[in-house]
Amino acid sequence: MIEALHNTLSFHGVLWLSISIVSYMIALWANRKCSGHPAAHPIIITALFVSLGLYFSNTQVFEYQRAASLLHWLLGPITVALALPIYRQWQKLRHYGWRLVVSIIWGGVLAPFSAWLALFIFDTPSAIQFTMLAKSITTPLAMESSSQIGGIPALAAVFVIVTGIVGAVVASTIFSLFNVKNRQAQGIALGTVAHAIGTSKAIQMGDDVAAMATLGLCVNGIFTALALPVVFSLFI
Amino acid sequence: MQNVKDTMVGTAAVFIAYYLGLLIVDAASLPIPGPLLGLFLLLVALFCFPTLEHHVARAVTFPLKHMSLLFIPAVLGVTMYWGDIKTYALAIVIAIVVTTSLSLGFTAWLSQKLLNSKKSGVLANGKNFGDVDD
Repeated sequence: MIEALHNTLSFHGVLWLSISIVSYMIALWANRKCSGHPAAHPIIITALFVSLGLYFSNTQVFEYQRAASLLHWLLGPITVALALPIYRQWQKLRHYGWRLVVSIIWGGVLAPFSAWLALFIFDTPSAIQFTMLAKSITTPLAMESSSQIGGIPALAAVFVIVTGIVGAVVASTIFSLFNVKNRQAQGIALGTVAHAIGTSKAIQMGDDVAAMATLGLCVNGIFTALALPVVFSLFI
Repeated sequence: MQNVKDTMVGTAAVFIAYYLGLLIVDAASLPIPGPLLGLFLLLVALFCFPTLEHHVARAVTFPLKHMSLLFIPAVLGVTMYWGDIKTYALAIVIAIVVTTSLSLGFTAWLSQKLLNSKKSGVLANGKNFGDVDD
């Protein structure tokens, strides 16, 4: 933390932190303009602006990462803060019982396993394969657990975000293809497979969908983040 | 003033849980990430002291809403792996696009089957549970 603060309290630190925050505010505005379309997710627009800034100022990515290390460092505490939404979902989880838990576990195993299988068939390097296993959980948890199992956190962040966007974009089509009309089932699938970005899509679909998506997001996040490192330390 | 105090208590709770998590994982060489243990510690604290929810909520609601900003340094770091991504682009695209779509479909399909099997009873009231909006 001391090092992150030290980096921040320099000319470069303040400059790049400000650029990041201003870019993010523009991204929020642009996202609203696109009525919250998942492909216009703020993180994509922010990353675009910051990369343009890096390009024009001839700054290397690692220099930016050092200057903005406070942002990166905050990922740890924000992971801890996820305890609050999880705590709030707890009562509901008990209410819905095993049917909900089975659905979430099914999705939580199916999504990473099928993605891993695809990479395995194409014979990609194991670091990429391991990273893919964390693709369906919310970014801070995915980065933590992928680094724990020999994956690449930066790649995990990108896989997670792209997964979320794909999930949110295809959701309506997929639900009609699979003939899923139950709104709660739609919510569970969105939250479990497409984490927070799927959940924002679910919020647009209605309160009942959003509540189930949040449950899926929380339960699968914890389940996967805990299971991956433990399974890897036991068997590999 | 009370609000400021609540926010500070909530922030302190998060940071104490965070550092305790790091400390314990490090001391006991546990195979899980430190912040994840911190999350569980905070969760336990919330169950033991439900009044803490209010304080924690004051501290974390805003950062949680805007946590996307915190991923920017990491996401830009992906440019260092650009070569690998390009080499395996097809596999990665299939792994993300195809399997995400299929997983979404099969998950929704199974959960619809399970939920519909319990049509009468509590699930019919599902709409009443949409009031937690985080």
